[in-house]
Amino acid sequence: MTTDKAITWFLRCYVAVIFLFVFAPILTSVVFSFNSDRFPSLPLGEFTWNWYQLAYQDPDIWEAIRNSLVVSLTTATLATFIGFCTAYTDFRYQFRFKNAYLALALLPPTIPLIILALAMLAWFSKIGVSGRLWSIIVAHTVLCAPFAMAVIRLRLQQMDKDLEAAGWNLGADEWRAMRFIVIPYTLPAIISALCLTMAVSFDEFMIAWFVSGLNKTIPVFILEILQGNVDPRIYALGSFVFIVSATLVVCAQLLLSTNKPSTRSG
Amino acid sequence: MKNKSTTLSLSRRQFIKRSGGVATAIAFPAIVTSRKALAEPTEINMLAWYGHGEPDVVSEFEAMNNVKFNPKYYAGGDNMLGLIAQSPPGTYDIILSDAEFVQQLNQAGYIEELNPDDYPIDDFIHEDFKQFPGHWSDGKMYSVMVRFGYLGVSYNRNAIGDDDAMSYKCFWNEDIAGKVGHFDWHLPSLGMMSLLNGNIPKPFDIDSGAWKGVQETTMSLRPQVGGFFDYGGTFNSLKNSEMSAICGIGDWITGVLEKDGAPVTSVVPKEGGIQWTESYCIGKGSAKAELVNQFIQYMMSPAGQVRSAEMAAYPAFCVTNAGQAELRNVNMKEAERTGQIVGAANNPLTLISEGRIHYREVPIQQSLEEWNDFWSEYKNA
Amino acid sequence: MKSVKPGLDAYALTWRLPVIIWQVLFFVAPLAFMIAMSFFLVKNYRMVEAFELANWIKMFSRDYFRDTYWQTLGLASLTTACATMLAFPAAFALSFKVSENARRWAIFFLIIPFFTSYLVRIFSWYVLLAESGVINKIIGFLGVGPYTMLNTMFGTMVGYFALTLPLVIILQTLSMSSIDRSLIEAAHNLGAGRFRTIFQVIIPSAKIGLVVGALFCFILSFGDFVSPYYLGGSQPPTLTILITDTTKSGQQWPRAAVVAVTMMVTLMVIAFSAIKFAYHNRSQ
Repeated sequence: MTTDKAITWFLRCYVAVIFLFVFAPILTSVVFSFNSDRFPSLPLGEFTWNWYQLAYQDPDIWEAIRNSLVVSLTTATLATFIGFCTAYTDFRYQFRFKNAYLALALLPPTIPLIILALAMLAWFSKIGVSGRLWSIIVAHTVLCAPFAMAVIRLRLQQMDKDLEAAGWNLGADEWRAMRFIVIPYTLPAIISALCLTMAVSFDEFMIAWFVSGLNKTIPVFILEILQGNVDPRIYALGSFVFIVSATLVVCAQLLLSTNKPSTRSG
Repeated sequence: MKNKSTTLSLSRRQFIKRSGGVATAIAFPAIVTSRKALAEPTEINMLAWYGHGEPDVVSEFEAMNNVKFNPKYYAGGDNMLGLIAQSPPGTYDIILSDAEFVQQLNQAGYIEELNPDDYPIDDFIHEDFKQFPGHWSDGKMYSVMVRFGYLGVSYNRNAIGDDDAMSYKCFWNEDIAGKVGHFDWHLPSLGMMSLLNGNIPKPFDIDSGAWKGVQETTMSLRPQVGGFFDYGGTFNSLKNSEMSAICGIGDWITGVLEKDGAPVTSVVPKEGGIQWTESYCIGKGSAKAELVNQFIQYMMSPAGQVRSAEMAAYPAFCVTNAGQAELRNVNMKEAERTGQIVGAANNPLTLISEGRIHYREVPIQQSLEEWNDFWSEYKNA
Repeated sequence: MKSVKPGLDAYALTWRLPVIIWQVLFFVAPLAFMIAMSFFLVKNYRMVEAFELANWIKMFSRDYFRDTYWQTLGLASLTTACATMLAFPAAFALSFKVSENARRWAIFFLIIPFFTSYLVRIFSWYVLLAESGVINKIIGFLGVGPYTMLNTMFGTMVGYFALTLPLVIILQTLSMSSIDRSLIEAAHNLGAGRFRTIFQVIIPSAKIGLVVGALFCFILSFGDFVSPYYLGGSQPPTLTILITDTTKSGQQWPRAAVVAVTMMVTLMVIAFSAIKFAYHNRSQ
């Protein structure tokens, strides 16, 4: 019994160490975003809002934020639509090349981003649409759709197949059944897929860096600070990205967990 | 000017082209301005090394002319060529190029012709700069030199003695093993190795035997090397003493840190140094050529030359006498630090006249690709 | 249940076609074009469409490409092995040693890093690992160090772990916590010791999660550019660094494509073997 306890405690300490590893860089970035020294080091300098102010006053950063919002919102909409189509097709239909179809839809996240970025840029240059915000949106949609598919598919899994069929029996055509049964049922998942894909797109820098041309998003801006005159503005921006993404994820999480009771009742 | 007649006829052609541009510029905003506020600034897309589009350089011009610079930064001339090639023609209005790559830009048809009368070329501090190699072709001017600087030994003074630093051999010092960094671009580092091997006065014009020698010398440095860095990485590794010396840079990076109080500096060693040169070009097909030309004129003016000399990202020497004089007026300390004072011991022109400065070029007898290939091999060794 | 015609009517196509069209245009086509591009030529900094093996011959005859390939493969494998082993005790603890509520919170916190900027986290690690950085300052008080951690393989791997460890722990925890507890109790009742239970019951039952976690770890570290560049100082350089170097230099996109295609093929082989291994013996 005592050895059991010792092991349990040892394991818990181990988990704490792992969490320390995971959160050390995040804490570091928060601490140094308020630190006056230009190069972050110990001992700490004075407390300052300077880096946030610098970032706040920079019109280029606002332009990048605008770009990021346009890209991530559009990406989220498109990716969620495509993800929904895939999830619904997988849920509802059996057909001959279904595995190929699913592979086509689900594979993008398994390709390293740098390869996707290279391929996308080459292709976009070839068809003459490189260097626009649209290029980032299209590329991000490909990357994000599988995440939306996964979230929505999970929700569809919980839906009784008879539910849709019951609608048809009551005289609704498929479109009406979709409108009044399937979509309302999957709505929480749809919204959480929107949040999730938006968060993924909001933080992606590799593809955006390759295909964006002159249209910088926030992560690309951060990369350019890292390649250029590094200063703690990077941390101020990092905190901003973190707050946006974390909000989105918490929303997604809350929506996913609040719909659980309704599953049981439904 | 020497080629007055050609210039005149060409500037007429340019004028027609530009007035066409103006016509569309007038017609087009009429549609746009109906929706947008009149005060909406004109956007100028700039392709440049890091820092050239930052507020400390451009904000005054932006405010005066109601324009907004939209910079895309690159590192290294080959990187620049790649970025232009991937973008639709006319994407970049203004290109800040390394002087040795202007020729390629011109050959590929990426840049517009310039009118030499627009710039204070007669006031340039050195005869060579007036017709810098590659900037003129068949008597036509395609690029104007705006700033320059020297590459040599850049080091932490706590780790390497000032006497030691007077030779590239100090990179091989045992006590800085693992603490020699490279700026991650083949041209400057390999040029230095070529100088060390005695390929003077043409470190980039070497036959296959000498090229082999350069490769061997470079490879022998590999055990000393602690990393390969971009601008930000170089900057940080010197600042936090991660690296004691960096091969392939000069005052353009250490100057920023020196002004900040860090114990780092750069010297031109006895084997000689390499001159980096930056020049402005107008992108082919830019609809804003007139405005861009105004900006180049601004940067060539004494005030603009001071902005360039004091640029936050990396300092440089002025190319005009008037620019130097203005720098002495407004920032004597920086003028002294960089020797931009007539008769100063560290005056940049003194070094040139002593024959210790060699212009950076693309390799003459090998292809750029061959040098780059070796660089990949070297990184991997 | 009334079965509705599963045929290909307008309704079915509405859901099926957008995906196919979109993915073919913007996923399959770019990758196919990249493969084609690996046979193109570059003349005077411009790509010329051609069908030549020159780039492949050139790259595969270069020592540095082969060296970089094996180094990257080795580094990613080592990272995968370490991350899997480092994650396992944590996932084990989260699966069996804490309450369900605590587990849910732990997973939630492990998701958070994915939504902080990876670049910012890497720069934080730069600050932490530097020779005059936070960690060396702290251990300096204890009279140890300073250690050189940046610009080494260690630095690269710290970055890889920052990228992959949370994901590996999540995947392992999800698969282990869903193991039927009665299975474990049965093993105990049969007198199996702790370690025998782990190796004979838990690991085989959680095999899929373990393998999938390892696979994602491999894919992510194999394809990461930021850690080896900014924390590893290109010591050693990886294939991803080679790709960016090659695209930067003289517009050599076809050669970068050769590297990328080689990476993709490698990943496919590894992914298929891993999946096959994960589902092998499953029926027994």
